Amino acid sequence: MSNVQLSSSALERLVARRTFPLQKRTSVCRNLFGSVDHDELHREMKDKLREISERDQERWNFNFEVNSPLDGVYEWKEVSVDETPAFYQDSVQSGRTRVPATPVKRRPVEEPVLPDTPRLMERLSAPESSAPCTTEVNQENRKDKLNSGKQALRRVPSVKRKRTDTTDHTHITDFFVKRKKVVDRKVADASSCHQSTKSPIPLEQTPRKRIR
Amino acid sequence: MAQTSSIHYEPVAEIGGGAYGTVYKARNTESGQFVALKSVRVQTDQNGLPISTVREVALLRRLEQFDHPNVVRLMDVCATQRSDQETKVTLVFEHVDQDLKTYLEKAPPAGLSQECIKDMMKQLLCGLVFLHSNCVIHRDLKPENILVTSQGQIKLADFGLARIYSLTLWYRPPEVLLQSSYASPVDVWSTGCIFAEMFRRNRCTNCVPSFPTCLSVIGLPSEEEWPSNVTLSRKTFRPVPPRPITEVVPEIDSQGVQLLLKMLTFDPFERISAVNALEHQYFKDEETATETTK
Repeated sequence: MSNVQLSSSALERLVARRTFPLQKRTSVCRNLFGSVDHDELHREMKDKLREISERDQERWNFNFEVNSPLDGVYEWKEVSVDETPAFYQDSVQSGRTRVPATPVKRRPVEEPVLPDTPRLMERLSAPESSAPCTTEVNQENRKDKLNSGKQALRRVPSVKRKRTDTTDHTHITDFFVKRKKVVDRKVADASSCHQSTKSPIPLEQTPRKRIR
Repeated sequence: MAQTSSIHYEPVAEIGGGAYGTVYKARNTESGQFVALKSVRVQTDQNGLPISTVREVALLRRLEQFDHPNVVRLMDVCATQRSDQETKVTLVFEHVDQDLKTYLEKAPPAGLSQECIKDMMKQLLCGLVFLHSNCVIHRDLKPENILVTSQGQIKLADFGLARIYSLTLWYRPPEVLLQSSYASPVDVWSTGCIFAEMFRRNRCTNCVPSFPTCLSVIGLPSEEEWPSNVTLSRKTFRPVPPRPITEVVPEIDSQGVQLLLKMLTFDPFERISAVNALEHQYFKDEETATETTK
């Protein structure tokens, strides 16, 4: 217990809640609060979001989802942008840039974004591909991932998979998308943590070993 | 590997959906207050909104708590998920009928009165000082996103999440055009351009997009003033002496000239700050006269 820096009371609390992974004694373990039930969390968030949306809708008597007014205190009116300061015009944000939403033509498929999340996720969590891919074209992306610390482990195989997968129709979004997801992704935390407990190799080095 | 060939194009997000070209506004039948919706469609991943967007919303809300008279009121922020890849963030703002651009266009042929210009400049700077003191740089100040209420109250808009990416170069300071690093002085430059425009009631010619034109008014800066970290060399430009500012902005008084020149100073570090501009003698004169026009 000496290599875990927690006050004794915090430890007791964790033990009491049976969330402390007592059986796993390793030097690397960031999973301080037990594993997360992602499905449950997701459901709770969804519920909470719906609750908030309903409150918004009620407060403004406006259905934000379908963009249409409802009956209530506010008397809604749809006016042309020309009749109102340009500032109120809708906009689309992608990355750090925003453009007015009015001209649809402006950025056609600017949404390089996300071919399809579920499928991608599936691929990400799929078991490692047996065919090792030695030509790793996507070094740049990988480096980024490695530096981000976490999830490197799981991610690498998926990168390979993806590349081999998409040889038929590779598009640039493959790379963009992945990078984006990877940097922010927290979901894999838990799993990568468990993985790392299996081998004593520090996280950062694992992928390097893989490249060979 | 089996699913490889199934990767074809799939609908990602609706681009042309919704009624664009229109704005929803409403009147609260109890209070008489007007509000308008501005929605920003944000690309998301499985983590939801990008953290930068969340920060911006938090910032807008924090600023809102100060209830500053020269900043447009943000009444609410409502998020709805449109798809896995897109979330629509709707900002509920107070509705103000016109912006400074329309206001200047509609001004009487004689132009705005000196008092009116002074009052508006004062309010504009007040709003700017507020933003700067909260570490917010507007970066895109221009008449289009300065709202003017029917009572002549100035309200800054379009900072943070509400920003529409702009291609208007007119109000861009030299350090931005030269792609040097920049900070809060950029807003002061833009405010200077707007100041001049209030007298002229058309786009200020010393702020036209081309950098040489900007130099033709303020003159080519000295070697020492020229930023060291830019690719464009000072030698690229023909040395020109500054034009007398009264030639560009004829009706301005002497205090106004002083202030304007301080705001349109080439070197951002030498440029007057918003807070000092507000303290300038220009606003001290006829203090009482300005008060009564409010």
